Amino acid sequence: MSDLEMAATTELGVRPSGDPAAGPAATAKTRSLYADAWYDLRRNWIFWVASALVVLIVLMAVWPGLFSSADPTACNTRRQFAGPSGGAILGYDFQGCDVFSRTVHGARASVLVGVFAVLMTGVIGLVFGMLAGYFGGWLDAILSRVVDVVLGIPLLLAAIVLSKRLSADRQGSGIATVVIVLGILGWTTAARVMRGSVIAARSQDYVAAARMLGAGPLRIMWRHILPNALAPFIVVLTIALGTFIATEATLSFLNIGLRSPAISWGIDIATAGKHVRESATPLVAPSVFLTLTVLAFIMLGDAIRDAFDPKLR
Amino acid sequence: MQVRRLIAGTLVPLAVTAGLVGCNSGDSAKVDPTGVVSIQIAEPQHLLPSNTNDASGIQVLSALYAGLVSYDQSFKPVPDTAQSIESSADHRVWTIKLKDGYTFHNGEKVRADNYINAWNYAAYGPNAQNNGYFFSRIQGFGETQLGPDPDGADGPEKPAPPKAKTMSGLKKIDDLTFQVTLSEPFTEFETVIGYSAFYPLPDAAFTAPGVINEDFEAAPIGNGAFQMNGKWEHDAKVEVAKYDGYPGTKPKVGGVEFRIYLQPSAAYADVLSDNLDVIPQIPTESIVTAPDDLGDRFQRSSASQFQFLAFPTFETEFSKPEVRKAISMAIDRDEIVRSVFKGSQQSARSFVSPVVAGYRENTCGEACEFDPGKAKALYEQNDGPKKLNLAYNSDGPHKDWIDATCNQLNANLGVECVATPEPKIADLLTKVEEKQDVGIFRLGWTMDYPSMESYLGPLYTTKGSSNYYGFSNADFDRLVSEGAAAKTPEESIAKYQDAENILAQQLPVIPLRFAQNNYGFSTRVQNVVVDLFSRIDLSQIEVLG
Repeated sequence: MSDLEMAATTELGVRPSGDPAAGPAATAKTRSLYADAWYDLRRNWIFWVASALVVLIVLMAVWPGLFSSADPTACNTRRQFAGPSGGAILGYDFQGCDVFSRTVHGARASVLVGVFAVLMTGVIGLVFGMLAGYFGGWLDAILSRVVDVVLGIPLLLAAIVLSKRLSADRQGSGIATVVIVLGILGWTTAARVMRGSVIAARSQDYVAAARMLGAGPLRIMWRHILPNALAPFIVVLTIALGTFIATEATLSFLNIGLRSPAISWGIDIATAGKHVRESATPLVAPSVFLTLTVLAFIMLGDAIRDAFDPKLR
Repeated sequence: MQVRRLIAGTLVPLAVTAGLVGCNSGDSAKVDPTGVVSIQIAEPQHLLPSNTNDASGIQVLSALYAGLVSYDQSFKPVPDTAQSIESSADHRVWTIKLKDGYTFHNGEKVRADNYINAWNYAAYGPNAQNNGYFFSRIQGFGETQLGPDPDGADGPEKPAPPKAKTMSGLKKIDDLTFQVTLSEPFTEFETVIGYSAFYPLPDAAFTAPGVINEDFEAAPIGNGAFQMNGKWEHDAKVEVAKYDGYPGTKPKVGGVEFRIYLQPSAAYADVLSDNLDVIPQIPTESIVTAPDDLGDRFQRSSASQFQFLAFPTFETEFSKPEVRKAISMAIDRDEIVRSVFKGSQQSARSFVSPVVAGYRENTCGEACEFDPGKAKALYEQNDGPKKLNLAYNSDGPHKDWIDATCNQLNANLGVECVATPEPKIADLLTKVEEKQDVGIFRLGWTMDYPSMESYLGPLYTTKGSSNYYGFSNADFDRLVSEGAAAKTPEESIAKYQDAENILAQQLPVIPLRFAQNNYGFSTRVQNVVVDLFSRIDLSQIEVLG
């Protein structure tokens, strides 16, 4: 659970004000919170580096052919651990597959798992956090205890049980299985952050005003609270995306996540690890890509948090 | 019940003292006759001769027990604790005379009764012993088995109890002689009784006739060169010490510590650092570095294991021998041996191991020759399936070579081949038995006794205990049973070879490789010999002082 909890430590306290007019008067024109954050982000080099990496990785995931024309499944042991040649700029692995091509194609599984797991945790976290924060009382008590319970489940243990269960009827486990495992276990931080910022927003004057004007709870939540409580939630999810990608690689490495013939960095790292004394490149290449990807998302999340959090200015 | 014997590399049988690839003795270092040697094993399933069929358990039992026969250089049986073994002219009635002077570790004299009681216990159906089927050739075996279960294994009704407690074919002549009558002639019975299932049990093993003492397995009492030193410490070790009352060849060490490892890689690391003396099988991923790591302490010897791919011949897509032949021809065996196994195994082009008498090279003929062009043409002519599944068990070291095989099939047949792991061999075999669609699956087979029959009978006859592919050929069955009943070994072999020719045409399985023992040892020991059954020969190993 440690990866997911790392995300929790980045939890923002409560944004001090939902009032759009409260942004710093850098220019005479008043800016919304989001415009203000964007203004800040543009001047942060970390943001640009992280964004460039993210764009690169998404491109790899969507059009791997742009980077490598070799077929990652065309393997021939005659080329086992052969050095770089032609298109294979990183040489070949134990099975004689093109290391660079496999690494590039491995991005797709990671990005898909990351994005879908974040969507799933986002939806669950949003609903739980919003309901608990807005209504409070006994509902909050129950929902918060549910969060505590889920938080107490050890990730790897639960992942082993769930993926065995989910893939019992299928041949191996696919991306859907990993997404479900991560979604079920990973939403708690997002829910807690959401709950915190909803509680802060709920007591604002404009909420009281909306209520007096006769707005129902749904409308208040959707129109008034959500836009003002969303920023820390987005930050947490961005960072979580990175940690989900790392967790997917962990599960695949332990043979409980994706399985061949799926191409995943975790699988390739596990296979290459056994033969590291013969050739290190097949181990190093996917490891470096995995590290950079995770780093990119965490740096991006950090930069966004800095932009949103005036206390750090 | 033979399921466990199929686990590649972990199962093995029989005592063989034949040295295969010995190492040099006569070094200047002094040999310590009281030294204790440590040997890697996995946790044995059982330590009772009638119930032990895993390699580790048999390795321990071979220290504690001595068999009726052992095998010479050419794998012919020679009497060991038996004085003589004589058969009637039709090979149906066998008279076994024991040598005088053998005692169990508790001092009991070894008598004919010890064999008869042990064999009857092993065969008796309700005891459900893993090795019970080894006694099925003995007359009266059928009467000791449970009747058919009227409502299946899950139903409330119990199967009919056996008609007899003992086999009528076992008869005591005098204290040191007994007679075995078989239900059908079997020329090679003398070879079979070297297997560990045929060891005797002392009277101390039984609390009542036919009832084994529950504690016996924790510290088995045998008739062999070593006796238990303490008890079997589960998941830790089994220690044995030299038994002075043993009249056979005396071991050159004071004792053996069988150390139980979960991970072969951990055992290998311990050998490198001299914390462990012998690892009988070096893990595949370390084979390439082993010559550097161990120098001449890394050695190889022949083993009897045979690896193959089996087809569910009952599935229509694999029902044509031509399709099976095309798949076989699309696999480059030598390339996999070179790249994945680094030469630590041999390509197989026959259906029995080279270690048995009657082995011929390349009985498989054209079907085992790598010819991608012909393979593809043949495959397409016969509408071979577009998608292939290669099922394997992930608890054995199979992923690398299965992946490599799949890649070859992809490239050479233009199919979409997927390697599908099952957690355990038992899961895989259960699925096959239930005729689920697992596709092609891998199996490995280690012989129980040095005979072609040990491969042909169980694997391919219609009633064979490990015939998982639905292969049934009347001519084949007839030739194998004729071979078993033949008057001379030469006649047997001729029949078996004819049977093997049928396999080469029908290809219910395709041979891939014959295994070798790739073992390593520490600087503390010498004369380490690993035999055909992948067991360390404890009568030869020496500890340096």
